[in-house]
Amino acid sequence: MIDVRGLRKTYGDRTVVDGVSLTVGEGEIVGILGPNGAGKTTTVECIGGLRRRDGGTISVAGMDPADEGTAFREALGIQLQESRLPDKQTVAEALEMYSSFYARPRDWHELAERLGLAEQRKTYFAKLSGGQKQRLSVALALIGNPRVAILDELTTGLDPAARREVWELLEDLRGTGVTLLLVSHFMEEAARLCDRVVVIDRGRVIAADTPEGLAAGVVADQRMSFVPSAPIDPATLQGLADVRTVMTSGDRIVVTGTDNVAGSVLVALHQQGVAATRLRVDQPNLDDAFIALTREQEATRGPAAAQSDTNHRRGVHV
Amino acid sequence: MSAASAMLKSEARLLARNPGVVVWTAILPVVAAIVLAAIPAVRQPMDGLGGLSFFAVYQPVLVLFAVTLLAVQAMPDVLTRYREMGVLKRLRTTPVSPAVLLFAHLALILAVSLGCMLVMVIVPALIGATWPQNIAGFLLGYLLAAWALLGIGMVIASLFRNAKVAAGFGTLLFFVLQFFAGLWLQRPLMPDWLRHISDFTPSGAAAQALTDSTGGQWPSLLHLAVLAAWGVAMSAVAIRLFNWE
Repeated sequence: MIDVRGLRKTYGDRTVVDGVSLTVGEGEIVGILGPNGAGKTTTVECIGGLRRRDGGTISVAGMDPADEGTAFREALGIQLQESRLPDKQTVAEALEMYSSFYARPRDWHELAERLGLAEQRKTYFAKLSGGQKQRLSVALALIGNPRVAILDELTTGLDPAARREVWELLEDLRGTGVTLLLVSHFMEEAARLCDRVVVIDRGRVIAADTPEGLAAGVVADQRMSFVPSAPIDPATLQGLADVRTVMTSGDRIVVTGTDNVAGSVLVALHQQGVAATRLRVDQPNLDDAFIALTREQEATRGPAAAQSDTNHRRGVHV
Repeated sequence: MSAASAMLKSEARLLARNPGVVVWTAILPVVAAIVLAAIPAVRQPMDGLGGLSFFAVYQPVLVLFAVTLLAVQAMPDVLTRYREMGVLKRLRTTPVSPAVLLFAHLALILAVSLGCMLVMVIVPALIGATWPQNIAGFLLGYLLAAWALLGIGMVIASLFRNAKVAAGFGTLLFFVLQFFAGLWLQRPLMPDWLRHISDFTPSGAAAQALTDSTGGQWPSLLHLAVLAAWGVAMSAVAIRLFNWE
C-alpha cells in the first residue's frame, strides 16, 4: 500500500531524512517512532504529498504523492499535528464542508459521535479545547473514507478516556481494511495498536519489527525492586556481575542489570540471611527498547556526536 | 452538495461573521458618493464638463475606487490569513482544488462590490443626482472591470504568505492602478503615449469604460477586450501559482 525507498530530504546543508525505506501492506497498522527531531514528521509529510522530497521514490496505493492528483487525495487522509480551521467555523460546518470534497464520504454525524464531538457541533473552532481540536482533526482525516490514513501524534494532549475512544475507533477501522501509518511518541499506543513499528533516528531507520520483537530483541536493562526483611548494605549488591545500578527509594531497593539480575540478587540476599519481600520484576517493554536503541546509536557514534544530537533535539543550534 | 457550493456557503458565512475588513474598505467611497450626491451644487450640469454635473463625472471614479480597494486589499486578506494560520495546509490534504477556493472568494467579493456599486448609483439617483446615461453599458463595463481587478486580487491572494505584507503590496498596487485610472492626472490631460499605456491597464480601461457609459455612449470594444483579457489571464495565473503554504 505504501512503499518508500531511499527517501531523502535536505534543508540547506542539513539532511533531515537520509535514506528512509519502509513498506506498509494493505490493512496493516504501522507505527513510526523516534525522538524529537528524528525526521518522522518530515517523512510522513513527504509520503502525504505535503513536502517535496529531494531523493528516493514513494508510492501510495500505486500513486506518487508528488503528483498530488485528486485520486491520491481521495485515497489518503492525513491528520496533521498543527491543524487550524477558521476561528469562527463550527464543528458541524467544517465536517459538512469537508464531506462535500470527497466522492464517497462517511456520515459525519456518526464520526462526530464516535469521537465525542456530538455536543460541540455548533461550537466555533476557536472555542474548542485542545483535545477537541485534535479529535476534529482526526475526524477530518477520516471523513473521506480513505484507503490509507496517516496520523501524526494522534493522541498527544488527550486525556486517558479520550485516548481510549480514539484507539477503539482505530481498532474498528482496522476491521474495515484501512491501512494506517501512525507517528507516535507514546509507546503504549504503538505497542497496542501497531502490527509493526519502525524506529527512526536522525533521519535513518534504525529498527523495524513487531512491537514484541523489538522489545524482546534488545538487551535492555531488567529492573527489580524489593523491600529487604532486614537492613542491608547496597554496596554488597553493586559488586555482583549481573548488577548495573542499585538505588534506594524509601524502604525499597531498586536494582537494574542483565536478564539474570533477579536471580543473582535473590541468591546474594539469601547468603546474607535476608529475604526479599514485596518483590517486583519489570519486563523490558517498548519504552526500554526505544531508549536502548537510541542510546546504542549514540554510543556507536561517539560522545561528541551524541552531544551535538542532544543539542539538535533540544532545539539548540550552534 | 458540490464542493464549490459547500465552499461558497462556508466562506459566505465566515465573511458574514467577520465583516470587518470588507466594511472598512468599502465604507469610504460609498459614503463619499452619497454625500456628494446630497450637495445640490455638485448635481448641477456644468458647461465646462460637457453638460455633465461634477457628480456625474466623479461617480465612475468613486465606483472604481471602491472595487479596486476591495480587490487589492479586502480580497487577499482572508486567504493570506488562512495561509498564515495553516488552514490552507489542512485543505491541501483534501481533493479540493485551489480554483474552487479562489473562485468562491471571487464570487463573494464580486457580490459585495456589486452591492456597493448599486448603492452608489441608486441612492444618489433617489436623492436627485443623475443615473449613468447608458445603464447597460455601465453595468457591462463594471462587471468586466470587477473581474479584471478581482483577478489581480486573486493573484495577490495566491502568492503572499503573510497577511501584512500582502496588505502593504495591495496598497502599493492600489496607488499604481489609481494613477493609471487618472485619479491624479486625469486621462484627458495625459500625454498621448501615457494615455495609450493607461488604455491597456485594467484601471485605465475601466475608468474610460465607466466614464463613457455615464456620458451615454457604449464603452469601446478595446477597453472591454482589455478588461476581459486581464480577467482571464489573472485568473489563470492565480490558479497556476497558488501556494498552499
